Amino acid sequence: MTVSALTRPGERDRLIVKLGEIDWIFCLTITLIAGAGAVMLFSIAGSSWMPWAAPHLARYVLFFAIMIVLSLIDIRVWFALAYPIYGVGFALLIAVMFVGHHALGAQRWLQAGPITIQPSEIMKIGLVLALARFYHGASGKSAELSWWLIVPALLIVAPVALVAKQPDLGTAILMLLTGAIVVILAGLSWRLIAAGLLGVAVLAPLVISFGLHGYQKQRLTTFLDPENDPSGSGYHILQSKIALGSGGLLGKGYGLGSQSQLNFLPEKQTDFIFATLAEEFGFVGCVSILVLYAAVIFMALRTAYLSHSHFGRLAAAGVTTTFALYVLINGAMVMGLAPVVGVPMPLLSYGGTVMLTVMVGFGLVMAVRVHRYSEVTSGKGSLL
Amino acid sequence: MSEPSIFFAEVNERQGVFHRRAFVLGGIAGLGLLALGGRLAHLQLIETERYTKLSASNQFNFRLMPPPRGLIVDRNGVVLASNRPNFRLMVAKDKGIDPAQTLKTLAEFVPMDDGRQARLLREISNAPRRSPVQIMEDMSWEQFSAINIRAPELPGVTADMGEVRVYPYGGAFAHVIGYVAKVNKSDLSDTGPNADPILLNPGFRIGRQGVEQAFDLDLRGKPGAQKVEVDANGHEVATDPTGDIKAIPGKEIVLTLDSDIQNRAMEIFGDESGAAVMMDCRNGDILCMYSGPSFDANKFVRGLTAIEYKELAQYDHKPLFNKALTATYPPGSTFKTMVALAALENGYDPHTVHVCNKVWFWGGRPWHCDEAHGAQDLKGGIATSCDIYFYQCALAVGPDKIAAVARKFGLGEIFDIGIPGQKAGLVPDTAYKRRAFKKDPVWHAGETPSMGIGQGYTHLNPLQICVQAARLANGRKMLHPRLVKSVGGVERPRGSDFGDLPFAAEHIDFIRDAMVAVTTTGTGHAFGDLGLGQFRMAGKTGTAQARGYAGGTGVHDRNGAWGLRDHSWFIAFAPTDEPRYAMSVLVEHGGFGATSAAPRARELMRLAILKDPELRAKIEKPLPLPEVAPPETDPDVVDPPTPAAAAVQAAQQQPT
Repeated sequence: MTVSALTRPGERDRLIVKLGEIDWIFCLTITLIAGAGAVMLFSIAGSSWMPWAAPHLARYVLFFAIMIVLSLIDIRVWFALAYPIYGVGFALLIAVMFVGHHALGAQRWLQAGPITIQPSEIMKIGLVLALARFYHGASGKSAELSWWLIVPALLIVAPVALVAKQPDLGTAILMLLTGAIVVILAGLSWRLIAAGLLGVAVLAPLVISFGLHGYQKQRLTTFLDPENDPSGSGYHILQSKIALGSGGLLGKGYGLGSQSQLNFLPEKQTDFIFATLAEEFGFVGCVSILVLYAAVIFMALRTAYLSHSHFGRLAAAGVTTTFALYVLINGAMVMGLAPVVGVPMPLLSYGGTVMLTVMVGFGLVMAVRVHRYSEVTSGKGSLL
Repeated sequence: MSEPSIFFAEVNERQGVFHRRAFVLGGIAGLGLLALGGRLAHLQLIETERYTKLSASNQFNFRLMPPPRGLIVDRNGVVLASNRPNFRLMVAKDKGIDPAQTLKTLAEFVPMDDGRQARLLREISNAPRRSPVQIMEDMSWEQFSAINIRAPELPGVTADMGEVRVYPYGGAFAHVIGYVAKVNKSDLSDTGPNADPILLNPGFRIGRQGVEQAFDLDLRGKPGAQKVEVDANGHEVATDPTGDIKAIPGKEIVLTLDSDIQNRAMEIFGDESGAAVMMDCRNGDILCMYSGPSFDANKFVRGLTAIEYKELAQYDHKPLFNKALTATYPPGSTFKTMVALAALENGYDPHTVHVCNKVWFWGGRPWHCDEAHGAQDLKGGIATSCDIYFYQCALAVGPDKIAAVARKFGLGEIFDIGIPGQKAGLVPDTAYKRRAFKKDPVWHAGETPSMGIGQGYTHLNPLQICVQAARLANGRKMLHPRLVKSVGGVERPRGSDFGDLPFAAEHIDFIRDAMVAVTTTGTGHAFGDLGLGQFRMAGKTGTAQARGYAGGTGVHDRNGAWGLRDHSWFIAFAPTDEPRYAMSVLVEHGGFGATSAAPRARELMRLAILKDPELRAKIEKPLPLPEVAPPETDPDVVDPPTPAAAAVQAAQQQPT
């Protein structure tokens, strides 16, 4: 099939062509990571498919199908739905404040019949879409301007504030950083970036002293000095480091990680699954997984690079940023480089919500790839 | 069709900015991943050893295993204190465990009424989490295995096999050996041997009293450890037998006691209160040290109920008190041996004659004797135990010289026998009077006659009186008593290595002859014949006033209320020609020395001689044939003879 053939009108809308445009190497890579997750979950459960490994795989298969379906949706449809998705997400975030479901001291969930909705997850995609949509219509010069900054700043800060209030510090930080990076990618002037960094440096101590809950502050202090209180709140970090360090070069062997098997690792199936992997497969296993993550990030970022539309570029880059932040924050937390913030390792950790968010995000990335030559206009009603 | 508001150059520039920045972003993400890799390398390659150790210390715990407590055996290896298996049942509280329900379930297997359940429930709720509380001890094997099979369905319940101390002879050795009991808070210390965590083990017992207390650290041994794999909640997952550390058992302690003699002493004392001490007068080994009445040490191991303790503590015969060491009494006429020896050593003529008319007037008051003995010399005075002779003999010598001799015989001395509890008592002299009586620091002549008959200030414990008898019997050596023969195979110093007595041999021989006369013609004439062929016993009776008669409360001999009667003493040695065994017997409020103490001394001495293989050989093959001994008449001793004694009686009767 030649390029010229694909430039024929309507050719690119054919299903078989669209499927061929999907990055199947990317799909293979994320499947490898999810598979590694299932392998670890099988081990943690004491060589059992239940309660984690089987649901993990089943969800992945389902969400993979969703991702493929989403990747076939025209980028212009995504474009048109950007603000509505953001709006719905925002409305749900407000709703959760009033009728949300309490659990573990936080109010994050909405119960709709049998389905539990976590609006902050919708907002992770919604924010990226809305920012991409916003900057799509902005010129390079205007992206630098401070006036133009007010709208994206509001788009970012409003949901972040609501999520931080729930309180879900991990997600709030994730959204804040993702939003900021999309704005930077859109072309924010370097002077403003420098000023912003300076502002963060000044404000961070103030936020920490006055804006954080007691337990959040404690997480920070124990992060700074974890071995001061090994059986108290520094316990998680210390046990995780023990799991990693005792893994050594090749690990203790599959199913033989004493730290995870004997429950010394907290949240071993979710936030600390990387430590389990590190304990049983050692440095070699860890580096292999990190290489897979690097490949995913690289391929997703390349998709953004290849996109002809600014919306596609920013949306794909935003999703990639979120994913990369997940990996880096969780990795740093597990290795004792960051405080415990409750961010899972995407695809590896057990948990449907985050996996769904990531796979929907990847559906968007693939949609950008499949429709990378599509023209996207800001014109009203050009599509829908 | 392009964006209406943005012209082409701008679109290109926008794309260029994005591309450059996306490149930087990708670089930053890559750097972040590299940093993670670097951190991993640091943790997993450089510091891995440290974390491997930490992981192992997480994974494995060492559970202390109490060492078997050392045995205590007698001179012939008969076990006096050992350990027996004990099936225990314990419950610990933990998350997700309802102790009340657990107890209810356990009540189906072991007897436990509601009151006991309620009490245990309180105990469990007061105990720290996961620290087991003992529910039951000494379960039967059936109960133990029934619960063990169901253990997986009973979280927090442990049934294990521990060891518990057992004293096969119950009371006979209770005062010497003591007992073990639960550890109190006051036993624990921050440093030293009592800081050992093994003391907190629910089955651990600590030595209390006697040998168990004095040699507690030797008997204790070193705890071992069992390597167990635990999860984060401290629950046991598996054991690793290859990682176990063996416990080192406690040392064995060999006593000089003879279990047969000691047991016989308990039998013949019955309910009487008193003490019997016997020594080998060749080396100082204590063959018997009994204090009666005694108590069952096994009950103390289990823990006494309040009622049981009250009964023991309030009984006027004082069973908890070791009368052989801790109680001191006036020695009575047994002390006349010391007065006589002091007299001889100071040039007193043994042929000096005093006449006894039952009453003797001196110093403006009458001095009494039990009967009118008539004219007697020194030997006669000892044999009949004439008080009037010894009032005058003591006056002739003086208190200081008597006291000096008495002290050379161990009176008033505390010996190193390994166990605590000895009371020194007192041998008075003029220096004592000066020291102790500030208002009247002068020894009055009127105090000497009382001292001459072992009354007055003098009071001594039965061990000292036995040492006195043993030194008299030995005649040469300054014998010391030895109770503990060896600890963990290391022998303790012998009692014969303490030098010689500084007295003329003929003077001591004179006293011994007089003691032979006591059991031949004198106050103890009924007890010289042991019924064992040629072997005879020499001795000296003593009747010590418990209360002054003058005050009107004291009662002579066995008349009147128990607490007011005289104490009955007897010291003895046998065989008379070549003494091997010496002893002292005290029967509290037993009346005349010849009434209560002497028959008991004779019974124990018979057994000692029968247990001596050399002496026994001479009895069983008598050359020349002895006269037929008349059947024993022993009003005080109603117990049947020991099997050994019965065998000898049979052997004796064969020649006729």
